[in-house]
Amino acid sequence: MTITVSMTVNGEERSGVCEERTLLVTFLRETLRLTGTHVGCDTSQCGACVVHLDGDSVKACTILAVQAAGRDVTTIEGIADGDTLHPMQQAFHENHGLQCGFCTPGMIMSALDLLKHNPSPTEREIRDHLEGNFCRCTGYHNIVRSIAAAADMMAPGEG
Amino acid sequence: MYAFRYHRAGSIDEAVRLHGSCEDPGYLAGGHTLLPTLKMRLAQPSDLIDLGDIDALKHTATTSGALTIGAGVRHNDVARMSHSIPALAGLAGGIGDFQVRNRGTLGGSIANADPAADYPAACVGLGATVVTDRRQIAADDFFVDLFETALEEGELVTSVIFPAPRRAAYMKFPNPASRYAIVGVFVAWTDSGMRVAVTGAGASVFRVADMEAALARDFSPDALADIRIPEDGLNNDIHATPDYRAHLVTVMARRAVVRANASSDGVRL
Amino acid sequence: MNLSGEHRINAPREVVWRALNDPVILHQAIPGCEAVEQESPTSFTARVKAKIGPVSAVFSGRVELKDLDPPAGCVISAEGTGGVAGFASGDARITLREDGQATLLGYDAEGKVGGKLAQVGARLVEASANKITNAFFSRLDGLVALPETPPPQSTDESPTIGHRRQEVPLERVLIGLVAALVIALGVVAAFLQ
Repeated sequence: MTITVSMTVNGEERSGVCEERTLLVTFLRETLRLTGTHVGCDTSQCGACVVHLDGDSVKACTILAVQAAGRDVTTIEGIADGDTLHPMQQAFHENHGLQCGFCTPGMIMSALDLLKHNPSPTEREIRDHLEGNFCRCTGYHNIVRSIAAAADMMAPGEG
Repeated sequence: MYAFRYHRAGSIDEAVRLHGSCEDPGYLAGGHTLLPTLKMRLAQPSDLIDLGDIDALKHTATTSGALTIGAGVRHNDVARMSHSIPALAGLAGGIGDFQVRNRGTLGGSIANADPAADYPAACVGLGATVVTDRRQIAADDFFVDLFETALEEGELVTSVIFPAPRRAAYMKFPNPASRYAIVGVFVAWTDSGMRVAVTGAGASVFRVADMEAALARDFSPDALADIRIPEDGLNNDIHATPDYRAHLVTVMARRAVVRANASSDGVRL
Repeated sequence: MNLSGEHRINAPREVVWRALNDPVILHQAIPGCEAVEQESPTSFTARVKAKIGPVSAVFSGRVELKDLDPPAGCVISAEGTGGVAGFASGDARITLREDGQATLLGYDAEGKVGGKLAQVGARLVEASANKITNAFFSRLDGLVALPETPPPQSTDESPTIGHRRQEVPLERVLIGLVAALVIALGVVAAFLQ
């Protein structure tokens, strides 16, 4: 059965028609055409689909769109300030934290949730936090370095 | 995913009433087992009743000697309660990955009763009481068999009461990919005696009486050194044989005792 | 995977053999059984709705009987499909041994599982299989076990041993057990490795 689902996405009220069984990631990509959130494994393991739901990082492939109705969703498209990259995006750019880029939106959304709870994580803590995000190109090294750099950039007093 | 009707319940009563009025319904808590199952078309419920909006399932309370956690409290929320029962918080912080812990709930986990889930070990290990919409069930009686609990049709877990232990720790040997316990052992020195609860090794969580008796005499890892549980009936899969799991139970139990003795800060309830 | 075990049924071997040839008994003993049908003298199908944890699927099992040696045992070739869920197949050797007034029913099955089941459920296949076969045997025992006192004669439809007098084709052999094994091989509870 088709239903209309409304939610706040990247600060804007958005609504669209989907089915009750439609996944949030499908709703974002195919109904709202926000294709920055990727579908990787589709089994809640790889983390390519990570978005923020009411401020918490979640895997959008394992949530129904209708579960997010009335809630606040932030995707990778919603973190830059106009043409100015978010510090986390800037750090990935500067530290070569991606190769093919497929995992990157999920990595960035996941990493932002880490810094929310732990503004200056150790390398070990960063690696532990990325347990649910798979990268098949980089060996994670530059991703970890990017997140550490972003933490420095985002630290109070560091601009 | 097959089609279903979606309901968002606003209260425990409404959820239970909805469940009773639907043909083949299911409760949707964190959804991190249910939704993957539905995506593979391995189940076809007529109705899903979303419990995510029920505030009464999200409360936590500390009373003298016990911590009550609402069934809808997420793993990451429990992981941040390290001030109350550190062993429980540590266990919750080791479930799945960070995003799974942002969705998965205590009630959903124990109602599902996956043989390799972590929470059943904490419930049985701490001698917890499971509270439902209609009664209270001792954790020892709650977990019955593989994916089978004492819950009746439509019965909803509302909270779990964890008595504070004097000392406790959980150690698991996780599958490196899924973080499910190949073997996990929760050891607790409680007001009512020693408890050793094992998850991942058998069809359901179980206690090890020999280890409990040995720890009652001497709460040290050496007390467990010569105790090996029988491998008969233990799980066998591509990750570990029954023989290996039996071995791991002793190893994890000993490590748990070491950790329990090390966390001298104990419990402040 | 290998699945083997032995269960003691509190009834003589002939009774157990006959019970395993009785569709009424089988229907009741197989957890979730919806239908048992005969395709040919030595092949059968069973439809079973299996529910383990979050998984609930209808499985069709097809069974081929070989090496019949009543009432001592037989070999069963079975395959089960659960639609998109996957498939399972295997051979099981069944033996019935006398143990006083009771019967020891042994099985030794070698099976393989494919499809999504194998992909995502490997860690749970064997545990699920054990659970289903155990449930089958305990139901079977409840249905055929020798009563403490003789049951009252009745003419109703209840499947007590007393009124099963008609000859059931021997080939209807052990469908219950087989279906249980097949389904068990096939059913996999969720979830993710």
